[in-house]
Amino acid sequence: MKSGRTSVNRLRGTDPASASRRAFLKGLAAGALGSVALPAWARAAVSGPGAPPDLIERNDWPEHWETSLEALGRSWITPNHLFFVRSHFGVPDIDPATYRLEITGLVERPLSISLADLRAHLLRYELPYVLECAGNGRGLYRLPNTSGTQWERGAVGNAWWGGVGLNALFGWARLKPGATHVWFEAADHSTLPGVPRYVRSLPIGIAANAMIADTMNGEPLPRLHGAPVRAIVPGWYGMASTKWLTRIRVEATPSDNHFMTRGYRYVYPGEDPAQAPPVQDIQVKSMITRPLAGSRVARGAVRVQGLAWFGKLFGVGRVEVSGDGGRTWQDARLHEDKRFNRYVWQGTWRPWSAEVRLGPGEAVLMARAWGDMMSYKTTQPLEARPNAAGYANNSIHRVVVRVGA
Amino acid sequence: MGERRRIAAWATALVVAVVAALAVTATTRAPRVAASPRTFEGPGRELAENACLACHSAMLVTQQHKDSTGWEKSVRQMESWGAAVPDSAHHRELIRYLVARYGPVSAAAK
Repeated sequence: MKSGRTSVNRLRGTDPASASRRAFLKGLAAGALGSVALPAWARAAVSGPGAPPDLIERNDWPEHWETSLEALGRSWITPNHLFFVRSHFGVPDIDPATYRLEITGLVERPLSISLADLRAHLLRYELPYVLECAGNGRGLYRLPNTSGTQWERGAVGNAWWGGVGLNALFGWARLKPGATHVWFEAADHSTLPGVPRYVRSLPIGIAANAMIADTMNGEPLPRLHGAPVRAIVPGWYGMASTKWLTRIRVEATPSDNHFMTRGYRYVYPGEDPAQAPPVQDIQVKSMITRPLAGSRVARGAVRVQGLAWFGKLFGVGRVEVSGDGGRTWQDARLHEDKRFNRYVWQGTWRPWSAEVRLGPGEAVLMARAWGDMMSYKTTQPLEARPNAAGYANNSIHRVVVRVGA
Repeated sequence: MGERRRIAAWATALVVAVVAALAVTATTRAPRVAASPRTFEGPGRELAENACLACHSAMLVTQQHKDSTGWEKSVRQMESWGAAVPDSAHHRELIRYLVARYGPVSAAAK
């Protein structure tokens, strides 16, 4: 297994060879094929930067890409090619034919699982889960200093993930007494040997609910999203869902890796970083996907819609919408789906919509989600409490629109 | 007649090949919008290039806005992991460059 810029460039089609191929194709499209009517998808492939962007490139290497709000609003499921990407290091080259997932440590029977073993497992399942980067919204914090990628709203997505529950693999490996933490090790690494590998550990109760996933929206896991196998930890921010998973270590203690002890901590201004609480489950959040900020809407009843999610047990229970900047609120309608019970809804995001009456002029739309059951009093703050690394920004989404006469 | 048919066949094959190639390009396209400068600019950029680009692109730096304390913390972390900053003079120079080019912005400007 190796990682490096060459493979990343090849993957993205940005190596010189593919760049010249694209230029050649564009030349053909503009010249020889100029008189031939191209289908819409082919025109999109050769159109210039004027086309509406679906992905916003925050960092080119390693890839940090976020999805535009408009694209997220188009469908409940985020397509693979529009799903946000956040990697610590370059994409590693892993041969699926020789790939093995090791399960070691405090187990009676250490396992070395092939991709074929995973695919043939009797307890495979597929469920929709939201994945949100812990830093989503970092760029929107009102902080003069924020360290890290300046994500806005699109470092989040919802996909059908397919694989085997880690609890099923633990049933196969049989845990020993004292097994309390699960370490996820991955194939990706820095080009400098001194940079720590990306290792995250989870309490065993959380890890047991994780999926060892090898499909995304029914397709083999794409390389950018952790191929051939990644973890999906429902309800936790994305840092827990380790990509390019190679080894699962069952241990008696949490990992002391940099990304556990220093990274992913809520360091509030004036507080001791050594005592900072860890970033774990996804805070309750909603976003308005339509209308978009700055758009012009007709006067009267305006349909406002969006998506809401929450990592706590039972997920989102209610969404409220305001058309007057938060002075009055009305309940939005949560969309139902006959396939899903509340246990499915708690892991994924919930579409919602409301008809809001707006007068002429400027209107400030807002949406806030609430938890369900024992979290029914939990909602979003007007402004999330800033922390040094800008994690978990679940401030209420505020969208200003122009209302026509 | 045969010649014309052969030309027609070649033309059809070319159109099919181009359309297929465009389909591949469409499904593997990279994002179009760059939110921050892709390269380090201005005097002193070589220091940043040497120190940073072994592990990540310039965009990761150019999108951030930090004061000297913030950049000091980041650069020290990276040096401890092996970033190429030869000595303390280069370190001070790098911090000066980062603060000058990528210093804090007012919260209101965000």
